[in-house]
Amino acid sequence: MSRKICIDPITRLEGHGKIEIFLDDQGAVEDCFFQIPELRGFERFVVGRPIEELPRLVTRICGVCPASHHMASAKAVDGCFGGEVAPLAVKLRRMYYNAHYIHSHIAHFYALAAPDFVLGPDADPAIRNVLGVVAKVGLEIGGAVIASRSKAQEIQRIIGGRSTQDIWCIPGGVAKGLKPEELKEIRPMVADLLEFTQFSLQLFRDVVLANPTYLDLIANGPYTLDVHNMGLVDSNDAPDFYDGQVRVVDFEGKELHRYEAKDYAEYVAEHVEPWTYLKFPYLKQRGWKGFKEGIDTSIYCATPLARLNVAERMATPKAQEAFEEMFATIGGHPSRLLLAQHWARLVEMVQNAETLQLYCDDPEITGDAYRVIPQHVTGEGIGIVEAMRGTLTHHYTCDANAICTSANLIVGTTNNNAPIQMVTKKVAGTLIRPGVEPDQGILNMIEMAFRAFDPCYSCATHSLPGEMPLRVRVHRGGEVTHEFRRGC
Amino acid sequence: MSSAAAADRGHPGPAPFPARPAPPRTLLLGMGNPILCDDRVGHELARRIAEHLGAAPGLEVEPECTVGGLNLLDLAEGFDRLIVVDSIKTRGGRPGDWYSFDGTALRDTMNLSNVHDANFATAMELGRRLGMHLPGDRDIHIFAAEVSENLTFGERLSPPLEDALPAVCREMLVEIESLLAQTASGAADP
Repeated sequence: MSRKICIDPITRLEGHGKIEIFLDDQGAVEDCFFQIPELRGFERFVVGRPIEELPRLVTRICGVCPASHHMASAKAVDGCFGGEVAPLAVKLRRMYYNAHYIHSHIAHFYALAAPDFVLGPDADPAIRNVLGVVAKVGLEIGGAVIASRSKAQEIQRIIGGRSTQDIWCIPGGVAKGLKPEELKEIRPMVADLLEFTQFSLQLFRDVVLANPTYLDLIANGPYTLDVHNMGLVDSNDAPDFYDGQVRVVDFEGKELHRYEAKDYAEYVAEHVEPWTYLKFPYLKQRGWKGFKEGIDTSIYCATPLARLNVAERMATPKAQEAFEEMFATIGGHPSRLLLAQHWARLVEMVQNAETLQLYCDDPEITGDAYRVIPQHVTGEGIGIVEAMRGTLTHHYTCDANAICTSANLIVGTTNNNAPIQMVTKKVAGTLIRPGVEPDQGILNMIEMAFRAFDPCYSCATHSLPGEMPLRVRVHRGGEVTHEFRRGC
Repeated sequence: MSSAAAADRGHPGPAPFPARPAPPRTLLLGMGNPILCDDRVGHELARRIAEHLGAAPGLEVEPECTVGGLNLLDLAEGFDRLIVVDSIKTRGGRPGDWYSFDGTALRDTMNLSNVHDANFATAMELGRRLGMHLPGDRDIHIFAAEVSENLTFGERLSPPLEDALPAVCREMLVEIESLLAQTASGAADP
């Protein structure tokens, strides 16, 4: 008689979802499904609206990464008007996005990743949170985390006029420039953020790398996948979060594809499964080959680690040092060790902080040529940026009056749907074995598999009850034989 | 004669009125996603309730809040009391139903419950431990309206919720007015 374990999260910000694990007669994992109800109707919602309205609208799609949608949408709209953007506006957009990256990565690293490593994967769930982290590392560090996050947020506000619900990007540029007095205000905050990135790397060394158990979990645990990697790179093959070419390399480091945003549909397609609303992007030219690892797979990751895997180097010196240290420690470049995502986020934070500093020193940054007025409608635009949690694509068409006629989005987390399915099953299969009953520690280690991707499914569905209760039920012969609850 | 002038002439003058305590700084927050059908109900309700309340002493209103997690600290810092109007979806619930509870009811959710960020209760508790001026759990009042459709993009409420909204607003308003007439507890949370 088979039995079923159900991890049934009900979330606030991220929509609803559950993990169902099916066990065979012996109690081994037979199958595993990660199910999320997807939001519906965005494409229909935007058709008929002025195309220049979309960058303002899409910030409402997601309460977690509104700036990523704002940037990708702005680039797509630029394309609909011929693609010309004021060079200064590109610099300012990049600057804003650097600050947003730091803000988001701080939240993920300290609120989500740190509890597993500072307190341990099997710590009591009641303390395995950012409060537990602060209790262990000290209030001073906790205060630095909150202050740094606030500074990154404030930089966004100063540059873009708002830190949320952005309305700043407009066709051909941005709605406001950066005044000299604003730059003066930003400078010390940028210096502090750069220092904080170095502090965070040191904390990672002290807490994670100095702990053989954690290192073993990263290097030898079940958190690995032999799938390919996707990310944007600049002309030197360093990570580029705002623009560049999309590069795909296999898990041995061989380049499979390199393409411009406008050609994305030739390289990426989406597979549909009957048991979920989620689509599963794959490398189109290889065809859908199922949820399979291996050199012939068509599945790829688009994550912080994937971005560093497709890059040959970092764009800035301190980030390059951190990049080299990371890959030397985890056994070479590229890496399949999914828990190294957390470290990769810290490396990305360094590049973002250093780049911010470079823009602060750019004598042109306070100029006033921050917009080009579009002269004609060309009717189609594709914008790709690296959202924190994956390559984000917005593709729009519009008519001669610049009214939206179609929209297609591939959001960051969607790229990783297949890898998340696969690694969740892999980890569950490793940890839940005949004779081993699942407990909270095991459940958390399964959660760690998908949490490493920093998934965001909501794109802002956020009804109360405001928690993600996890319910684990073991079914045998139609009866519930075990039940575990957390937060419900 | 002013009391200062009286004092100058050697008279004590009339006793000054006892200073009236400043009303607690209260933030009314409408939460939701404005383009996700019923998810916007918190915004709608906060706007309507704020209109009815007018310029109540100490009251500030942020009717369209779309952020969560640690970002809430930026909004709530400096306030003595927080009134959150939000949506809720319960099994078997119907539009027209609504619930109210205080921040202590959220304590059980302090585990890792938000996939990307700290949840509401955790963010608040973290801020307090770091010395930020934030409302205590007993001064966080949550009003939640039952919704039916929050997975489809749209700028209008579903018809059942639209129909129920005036009554929900009226009923919540009574309770919120009563709250505003009270001082904040200021009590440390146990």
